Amino acid sequence: MLMCRELAGIASDYIDGELSAGRNLSVKMHLMMCRHCRSFIGNLRASTELMRAHSSARVDPAVIDRISDRVSEALRDR
Amino acid sequence: MIQQTDLDESSLVEALKRGESSAYARAVSHFSPGMLAVARYYLDASSAEEIVQDCWVSVIDAIQKFEGRSGLKTWLHRIVANRCKNKLRSSQREIPTDFSERLDPELASRFNTSGRWASPPKLRFDESADALMENEALSDCLDKHLSHLPETQRSALILYEAHQHKSEDVCNILDVSASNLRVMLHRARQKILLMVETFQETGEC
Repeated sequence: MLMCRELAGIASDYIDGELSAGRNLSVKMHLMMCRHCRSFIGNLRASTELMRAHSSARVDPAVIDRISDRVSEALRDR
Repeated sequence: MIQQTDLDESSLVEALKRGESSAYARAVSHFSPGMLAVARYYLDASSAEEIVQDCWVSVIDAIQKFEGRSGLKTWLHRIVANRCKNKLRSSQREIPTDFSERLDPELASRFNTSGRWASPPKLRFDESADALMENEALSDCLDKHLSHLPETQRSALILYEAHQHKSEDVCNILDVSASNLRVMLHRARQKILLMVETFQETGEC
């Protein structure tokens, strides 16, 4: 029987569909009986979507400007 | 937006091959954030910036040989990763990583000895991700926590989630095994989850 702690450890694999069929089934069985883990999985999924929605790779515009300047310079020198 | 990479890639590649400066300007602003994320996995901030600059300069010639077998983004990320690996090889620095524990310590402390929740998740996030992101304070908080993640976890998260790379590509770019990538991703996601939970509960970051 899968315990909550163990489930929490493989929750990302479950969300991403990376578990074996047997393991996936035991997570599903556990989730049917455990509302805390249902909340946990729901929240982990929401956080994952949040990360996707967030343009996480926001970079200091000055860094991009410096890269652009260097590239323009190299193009001019050709 | 990061997801709009397909903005007619083949015409962009053709323009880059012709050496059009406007195409480079577009490509640099579009692809550099991801390239920096790759470089930051291996190097400190200033070396990472330097490597990305060097990569773009080498792309001016190398693009002529680009055949589009992989997408442009993946190709650029691989160039960055290879340069970083070469640089590291010469300095013989090791990437510090811990793949032994799948649970974040803070989350691990919320289970009792029998493995059940002692301190279960308190609430559910009911709003959609887009609705949540309209909350600027939460967005700032997310930025702050992302910047505090270990480089390894952050790069994995950014490449996988934000840049939507396939696992196989992320493993290749970051030089990690598939199972270690799974651990890094899971650890990073837990940190973000704990952050959102605290934010929802207390309104504080």
